[in-house]
Amino acid sequence: MPAALLFSRLMLRPLRREPARTALTLLAIALGVAVVLAIDLAGDAAAGSFRSSVETLAGDADFEVSAPGGLPSSAAASLATLPYALNLHPRIEDSAEIVQTGHVVPLIGVDMVADASANESGAPQDLGNLSTSPQVWIGRDFPHPASGTLDLRINDRIVTLAIRGRLKGSTGEAAVIDLALADRLLHRDGALDRILIRIPKGESNLDAWEHRLRAALPPGVTLERGGARTRENRKMLQAFRWNLRVLSYIALLVGAFLIYNTISVSVVRRRAEVGILRALGAGRPAIAAAFLAESAAFGLAGSLLGILLGRLLALGAVKLVASTVESLYVSSTPAPIALTLPAALAALVLGTAVSVLSGLAPAIEASTVPPTEAMARGRVDYQSRVHKTRDLVLAALLSLAALIASRIPPVEGKPLFGYLAALLLVAAGSLAIPFLVASLADLTGVPLRRLLGVEAMLAGRGLAASLRRTSVLTAALAVAVAMMAAVGIMVGSFRETVSLWMENQLKADLYLRPAGPESADRHPVMAASVPDRIEQLPEVLAVNRFRAYAISYGGLPATLASTDTALEHRFGRVKFLGAANREAIFHQLPLGNFAVVSEPFANKHHVEAGSTLTLSLGGHSVPLRILGVYYDYASERGYILLDRHVLLRYLPDPAPSNVAVYLKPGVPLDEGRAAVERAIASHSVLVIANRSLRDEAMRIFDRTFAITYALEAVAILVAVMGMAGALLALIIDRRRELGLLRFLGSSAAQIRRLILFEAGLLGLLANAIGLALGVLLSLILIYVINKQSFGWTIQFHWPVAVLLGSLTTVFLAAVLSGLYPARVAMRLNPIEVVHEE
Amino acid sequence: MKSSLLLATLLAVYRLALPGYHYEFPRDHFNHPEFQTEWWYYTGNLVSPQGHHFGFELTFFRQGVSQEPQPKPWGVNDVYLAHLALSDLDGGRFYHTERLNRSGPGFAGADLASGRIWNGNWQSTWRLASLTNGVFTNQQLQAVTDAFSLDLHVVSHKPPVIHGVNGVSQKARGPGRASHYISFTRLETNGTIILNGTRFEVTGTSWMDHEFFTHQLEPDQTGWDWFSIQLDDGSDLMLYRIRRRDGSADPYSSGTYVEPNGNAHHLTRNDFTLTPASTTGSRYPLAWAIEVPSLHLTLRATTLLPTQEFTGETPASPAYWEGAIRLAGTQTGVGYLEMTGYKKAVSF
Repeated sequence: MPAALLFSRLMLRPLRREPARTALTLLAIALGVAVVLAIDLAGDAAAGSFRSSVETLAGDADFEVSAPGGLPSSAAASLATLPYALNLHPRIEDSAEIVQTGHVVPLIGVDMVADASANESGAPQDLGNLSTSPQVWIGRDFPHPASGTLDLRINDRIVTLAIRGRLKGSTGEAAVIDLALADRLLHRDGALDRILIRIPKGESNLDAWEHRLRAALPPGVTLERGGARTRENRKMLQAFRWNLRVLSYIALLVGAFLIYNTISVSVVRRRAEVGILRALGAGRPAIAAAFLAESAAFGLAGSLLGILLGRLLALGAVKLVASTVESLYVSSTPAPIALTLPAALAALVLGTAVSVLSGLAPAIEASTVPPTEAMARGRVDYQSRVHKTRDLVLAALLSLAALIASRIPPVEGKPLFGYLAALLLVAAGSLAIPFLVASLADLTGVPLRRLLGVEAMLAGRGLAASLRRTSVLTAALAVAVAMMAAVGIMVGSFRETVSLWMENQLKADLYLRPAGPESADRHPVMAASVPDRIEQLPEVLAVNRFRAYAISYGGLPATLASTDTALEHRFGRVKFLGAANREAIFHQLPLGNFAVVSEPFANKHHVEAGSTLTLSLGGHSVPLRILGVYYDYASERGYILLDRHVLLRYLPDPAPSNVAVYLKPGVPLDEGRAAVERAIASHSVLVIANRSLRDEAMRIFDRTFAITYALEAVAILVAVMGMAGALLALIIDRRRELGLLRFLGSSAAQIRRLILFEAGLLGLLANAIGLALGVLLSLILIYVINKQSFGWTIQFHWPVAVLLGSLTTVFLAAVLSGLYPARVAMRLNPIEVVHEE
Repeated sequence: MKSSLLLATLLAVYRLALPGYHYEFPRDHFNHPEFQTEWWYYTGNLVSPQGHHFGFELTFFRQGVSQEPQPKPWGVNDVYLAHLALSDLDGGRFYHTERLNRSGPGFAGADLASGRIWNGNWQSTWRLASLTNGVFTNQQLQAVTDAFSLDLHVVSHKPPVIHGVNGVSQKARGPGRASHYISFTRLETNGTIILNGTRFEVTGTSWMDHEFFTHQLEPDQTGWDWFSIQLDDGSDLMLYRIRRRDGSADPYSSGTYVEPNGNAHHLTRNDFTLTPASTTGSRYPLAWAIEVPSLHLTLRATTLLPTQEFTGETPASPAYWEGAIRLAGTQTGVGYLEMTGYKKAVSF
């Protein structure tokens, strides 16, 4: 088997001789693959789980009926008396916190009388007192034994329920109570949240059934196919998961640079062998195939390692992703991580394909080595054939293409062209890097010697000399730095924007919300008496009641909310997009069917001031004219905000989700707070001072972006590892040169400094180029990708501290990565090395 | 009566069935929430033009569980149980299903205002236009299940019969150990049955019982055997025998004879005999000898389908046999037979 032999002799043997470098390259690929896989697994686990809790309780429904803010119960009666063998499940849906553990579970009210056969313990006890009898049934996965009692925090009350047993056939972790009890505990006033409908067995014409059901329902309720909520949530999470996924590819991209570098080095180092083989009659394809096989082998081995590593990383990632999902989108308990065979195979294919593609260019280059040139000893150093001008022109063209791509609107809500623009920009940057490195090396040679001595000058020269190889290296690190800087600038800008917005938005002294964990899709309420009582306090100037409902609009989850317009006008600093007349908007909002919407809502649903949207409220179809679009960073779901009294007309539940308390001037915060707490002592309500609320919000913000930082860190780690490996290769390549230097009298310490300078220079260069590229990329992230995915306007800010910190880290890491190669260089025996000549 | 779910609570506050009750129709065809237990019971023998015979049972039960005011719409004062059975007498199959509901926002009920007795999409609609002399003569029975559906129009040419003496059908010794018991004993029926996708146009004769009371069987009464019979001469017969623990007939067993013109006559325990004459190994006696000497009636009741046992969906639900029968002897006719308490004693 000559091919195998060729591969073994040409590829494996040299690799064995350099275990450290081989291991570093493998690890780099492994990390790249691992991160991609981990993010995918974590995303699946974190995003896929809401199905288990809400949807599986009644099995798969064919249809579901709902209405924002509640459905008249008479709709259930209308459906129940239709002359079809339908299976109906009217439900009240909310959530509750298990007091002992802080775990939030779905709380679902079902008809335990009609569904008596659906649970293991039979019908409820005490039928004549269902609304007061505290009995609960639990789903199969409920995190509590199926006996004894259960303390649940429901809105602003803690309720102790007797566990009656588990529900048959339910896989979720829901707490299930009878409709009568749910109605009382959740103050539904007779309204339902959803009716699940299963049509008779064997029926398949869903359109006909939709028609029939529609005819039996009052106007202003929504009839959808079953599983609509899961689909909505999936759709909502799509953009988030997309961006996360793309972010996870950074590490792999950096890994690709490293493969390219490794194979290039291999090609350079084995030019002599290649030449001999060519002279002995090996064809060009055979040579190319051998090097491709090397990259494939790296890819395969690295990917296998990456799959194992990815499964491990997913454990950590799932927590980070879940907390982001929870604070931005929807309550979810992460499902177990499931590494499926297809997912593993996909990772394997991805890693190998990226490796082979990265090795393509060097492999082709190897196959073009003419036998004579490679055979000539003494000309081992390979003169890089960099076409600086051509590459610069290409870089300019790519930048132009990036500019154009950044102007193209999203495709199905995904900023595909935004990503393309970012990729083009990275490619342009990579192409421009050799030129920049060369120019910098030329320019800095003299000043470097003056400043830092001869080692620094030599280092600069050394780099310039092996331009091609170092340029790839620099590019890898620069790209990693650029991504880091870009994401850093984006997140930093976002953070600053949110912080400023909160300063404007949060003007009250105290904020109240029901105790228990927060999530974007849960809006627990407190008793209407809470703000009423606070309003009476002599310390209090004004109280604003804020009410939110999780609704679905245009096939996406959204938030319907109401606020006291007069108070908002008096105290708030809501900012509207464009040249909106704030005064006019606030004047008009309480007068009738008007709304303002948040910026993410406007972007998602393509509405603007002057548009009309129609909501089903309390059984009525209500057209709402949009008066303005306001900046809001509280939730990505998007807000439709009405005046409190307008919304109360349709949904007459006065219980607020949040309360803002303005103290009279001169009342000390502590005093006011104490008075408020005394007034509402019997309610499980949190009183939060303005400052703490902002701090809390920023903490949530940082938690939300923790996953981003983690991904960045891995990309940098991969780049630094690659750098160490590449530097090592450079040393081994330049053993003659270094040996000669030693022979000519340089000390081991000088050689060491030379290598460290090289590493430092590389780090500095990568930092400088990366930062420049990163700023450009951040513009794409902020103004194209973010805007298209999430719909937020982010004001550009320089996160100076973050940038300085991370750039310093990269620089130090680069220098540190030179330590081992420097030691190798120091140990070179000058006599032996010079003998090789 | 059919389910152990229906716990007897607060028995004392419910009104008792006492003699001298003033019946007022159509009001008394509907709900009596002041009594704890109430049922509306439709049974009938039907046949298609092709000669395919069916029996059906559609029963609406109401059981009071609380007399305290309950929050609307989900609070429960009464639970509504309904039983629906179709006896495919020629196909040899018995289909039955039950459902339980609260009145809720309109899941179940029986009220004059809407002229409806219903549980989900099983209902009897009383045609207000058919009101003559305070009596509904026309009803529409509709019920849908996975396997079959009924849509039957029933017309009565006889006025409602009030069983027993002085407005009460006494079931045991003592005041209130009785029910108010009203029947339409002969309902001319025509309509449609769709069974497993096959449509049958049917005609026949149905019977409707309506009973309301606040009373349990006595400890030594274990169940009953009840007959509704429509004879070919146009007369109708209702007979029941309350069984005692020792197997003997309770002295409070009784019956009613309704002449073709609608005149009703009370029959006491001593006016008739019901004798099991079963030859099969079934738990239930599936053949009976019926004698009413004063009417010169000697009848033998038999069934075409022995498997007409209604079993509840949970093991706790009691089972009873309720099925179409044929009568032969001094006269011929059709009817329905109900036998309860054979598996275990009946409790409401």
